[in-house]
Amino acid sequence: MIRKLLIANRGEIAVRIIRACREMGIEAVAVYSEADKESLHTQLADEAICIGPGPSAGSYLNMESIISAAMISGADAIHPGFGFLSENARFAQICEQCGITFVGPPSQVIQNLGNKQIARNTMMAAGVPVIPGTEEAILDAKTGAEKAAQIGYPVIIKAALGGGGKGMRTAFSPEEFELAFLTAQKESQIAFGDGTMYIEHFVEHPRHIEFQILADSQGNVVHLGERDCSIQRNHQKMIEESPSMAVSEELRKEMGIAAVKAAKAAHYVNAGTIEFLLEKTGKFYFMEMNTRIQVEHPVTEWVTGLDLVKEQLKIASGEPLSFSQKDIHIQGHAIECRINAENPWKNFRPSPGTITDLHLPGGQGIRVDTGIYSGYQIPPYYDSMLAKLIVHGDNRQEAIAKMKSALGEVIIQGVDTNVDYQFEIMNDSDYQKGEFDIGFLESHQIGGVKVNEA
Amino acid sequence: MKLRYAFKRTIANKSASAEKEIRPEVPDGMLKKCNACKGAVFVDEVKKNAYICPHCGNYFRVHARRRIEMLADEGTFKEWNPVMPVSNPLSYKGYEEKVKMLQEKTGLDEAIVTGKAEIGGVSVALGVCDSRFLMASMGENVGEKIARAVEKATEERLPIVLFACSGGARMQEGIVSLMQMAKTSAALKRHSDAGLLYISVLTNPTTGGVTASFAMLGDIILAEPNALIGFAGPRVIEQTIRQKLPKGFQRSEFLLEHGFIDQIVERKDMKETLTKILKMHCGSGCVEEKEVLENVEKEPQKLVETIQNEVNDMGFSLGNISVKRSNPTNFTIENSIFNIASTEKNISPKSAWDRVSLARSKERPTGKDYLPWLFDYFTEFHGDRLFGDDPALIGGIAYFAGRPVTVLVQEKGNGTKENIAHNFGMVSPEGYRKSLRLMKQAEKFHRPVICLVDTPGAFCGLEAEERGQGEAIARNLFELSGLKVPILSIVIGEGGSGGALALAVGDEVWMMENAIYSILSPEGFASILWKDSSKAKEAAEVMKLTAADLKNLRIIEQMIPEKEPLTRENMADTMELLKSRIGIFLEDYSTLDLEKLLNKRYNRFRNM
Repeated sequence: MIRKLLIANRGEIAVRIIRACREMGIEAVAVYSEADKESLHTQLADEAICIGPGPSAGSYLNMESIISAAMISGADAIHPGFGFLSENARFAQICEQCGITFVGPPSQVIQNLGNKQIARNTMMAAGVPVIPGTEEAILDAKTGAEKAAQIGYPVIIKAALGGGGKGMRTAFSPEEFELAFLTAQKESQIAFGDGTMYIEHFVEHPRHIEFQILADSQGNVVHLGERDCSIQRNHQKMIEESPSMAVSEELRKEMGIAAVKAAKAAHYVNAGTIEFLLEKTGKFYFMEMNTRIQVEHPVTEWVTGLDLVKEQLKIASGEPLSFSQKDIHIQGHAIECRINAENPWKNFRPSPGTITDLHLPGGQGIRVDTGIYSGYQIPPYYDSMLAKLIVHGDNRQEAIAKMKSALGEVIIQGVDTNVDYQFEIMNDSDYQKGEFDIGFLESHQIGGVKVNEA
Repeated sequence: MKLRYAFKRTIANKSASAEKEIRPEVPDGMLKKCNACKGAVFVDEVKKNAYICPHCGNYFRVHARRRIEMLADEGTFKEWNPVMPVSNPLSYKGYEEKVKMLQEKTGLDEAIVTGKAEIGGVSVALGVCDSRFLMASMGENVGEKIARAVEKATEERLPIVLFACSGGARMQEGIVSLMQMAKTSAALKRHSDAGLLYISVLTNPTTGGVTASFAMLGDIILAEPNALIGFAGPRVIEQTIRQKLPKGFQRSEFLLEHGFIDQIVERKDMKETLTKILKMHCGSGCVEEKEVLENVEKEPQKLVETIQNEVNDMGFSLGNISVKRSNPTNFTIENSIFNIASTEKNISPKSAWDRVSLARSKERPTGKDYLPWLFDYFTEFHGDRLFGDDPALIGGIAYFAGRPVTVLVQEKGNGTKENIAHNFGMVSPEGYRKSLRLMKQAEKFHRPVICLVDTPGAFCGLEAEERGQGEAIARNLFELSGLKVPILSIVIGEGGSGGALALAVGDEVWMMENAIYSILSPEGFASILWKDSSKAKEAAEVMKLTAADLKNLRIIEQMIPEKEPLTRENMADTMELLKSRIGIFLEDYSTLDLEKLLNKRYNRFRNM
């Protein structure tokens, strides 16, 4: 078993991992930047080592410093958390070379899944559905129309050299195809001097559905159900829940099998997430695999009753999973709201500062994961997430009621937060009915806030 | 709030069993400490990054073989004298064993590797020091290898590039090491006398007897950033004078400021810079020169058109302009009518004072604004190799229509900040000495010299007098009169007195229409003759300082018309015209034989 774990991260996830260590009798080593001297993770850990200046490039992204800290402290494992170096194949490789256990998959797996083309080919070979599209360049409308018919409408036509929406058109039917193709091609020729086009299936109004998997080093893989992360702004998730209203028992089984297949095809080890786009038709497509613990892991913990970080540490220590797929049962409904120091009514402007007063909710089925405390100064260098509020109820309705009650109790003074905005989302009737897709915040103007398409 | 003392710990027995466990270890050679930022760095990343610290930008030393790989075109390096018998002239105890041990450890024979290579397609003799070998100190074998390489380069007529990195002379070989300084310098003198190019590149550290011999003798001296370069080491100096030395003392930047190196070149740009300089010196037969000749073939008709357009713009017609070609690459234009016409008829009605104001106008382009219009690949060379680098005088080499030329520019700067940085174009003695150094260099490599004159006058100050302002100007007049390459001087703004003349002892002197050239500023003139500097306007009228006046006085050969007073925005047409005129000048004068050229220049001033 891991004896001493260095947590190469900060904020609430570092605190979350330190807590798991405290419960498991593992010594926890925090690393911190000069700006995080007073941060909770620095103070809660058994040891703390300063690894550089405030800006992440010199500290939380500084591999040399972190490896040196591991050597000095005598840690035998590193947990990278999320963000920073968590999906850096080189960092994982260096840990391997130094004989440090990296809590995550092998470096080669990170490398392969980080490469879009390799990942797509691996999934196709394993029979995991990917968004259908042309492999070769299309230069004329006639060939394009034939390919589009094979791919299935609607389709999106993209310039090979495209970017910023230029040279991109959608066609919803064969009748629209020629015009859309020619316009996109013309645009590309003007903008990029090249008329090479690609066509792929256009996934209309999709939901972001991801499957949590756990894989041990013996090759056992289980999935822990899905999370619906469709409530997002500029690809930043805001609210996650499990299970999804859009996933039936049957679809869960089908998608779960695909997720396990995907993990096995990638020779995956440890906790990971397979992201899918789910179409209204019920068809789903592999997007990418995240090779780390995720922000929203608590919703899965709550509906499965597992502690994912502890499972990660056990897997990293070489232990086999102590349960199999048939032991996994989804119970009740969990929702997570991300509490950020930002002002939704001022274009989500970040709001660093000092927390002057703090009250956080509690009670049955209420969980708060956070790194803030009263008097805490939010450094300006890192992301704006202050806390995660996670609730669990017997059903979705109860979960929403709990979330509203809990959000209504949150008091964070000294900085602007999005608590009121989250509260408004909970009150939205479409949200309550579970009728939403990834365009929800753009189409609904919650609390009068206009969210522009990314 | 200090929470750390309030939290209860859950680990009772801290690392009790740690000793028994396998502890992770960083494999040997994976991490190193940067000696500048003291941070840990991954060795493979440093290697990928040209041996520069990815965190602080510190330059690590590069081994000779690796350096050659970074410079030479792939597979072109052929080593000379790879094996030499170990020399131990003082029979110094343990020295031979030490050398043999280092030979085994480094795989090198001595502290320098020499040979022949191609850099950017140009054949060169190349020598690179390796600091792992007794700090690349120079003993008999190092000196011998350099001398042989230089001699071979002389014999094969190759340029030589030496990368210095050395602690100085090798103590273990005593007085014999000292003699290597003379030996290498003597070999370089012969190489230089043969008209060949030597580029010296100084890397960290270059000190002692190496600095005091081959390292400082380059026609062109380049240095890597922040390299320690000096004769006596900083520690020795501190102990001797018992004073703390300033920060940055004896670093590349310090030497640049003090006039001893031409350019600081970052490691990633080194090959490109060397290639550029080598090509500009590779004489006839290199690619660029051929391109020039091809371009020249096309020039005559274009010139006629340009001139005809120019004449038409003036509103009068002219007889035939004919292009006479004496050989395929040489032509002259019969343009005497045009010259008279242009001076007498094409003058916009402006008072002399108007032109003084225009010449001094803030909008008027300064020397460096001309460079991109007239030249390609301008490469600046700094310093007078004596005292300093004068920013009021910018010098370097460039291509003019594909032909290498030396360019000297008096620079005022644009805007107050730049004005101050360039000392308002008032050149100091070190500026004139830099110009002379670069003109001598032009002479060695048979490059014409083009000077752009724009100065209110030579810098008038205590320091300038201390360093011999008068001597510096006089020396230029003396040397320029006999410089064995064509010289063209163009007054582009203010031609202020001796400060201007020091760059205007040319075969021809031209002026832009709104430039002025005079013995003194109108203010000074009024003050001396009339004891009233406010009468500058009247003075300007009587001084005959405009281009048209000076053309009539036959002080200058040509006036370059400005359709409207020149600004940085409207330069294009005038620059096109100026460029075509310079083209004609260079064609005419490059074919003159040396005696004619020098007599013509002598008589030009003799008859004034």
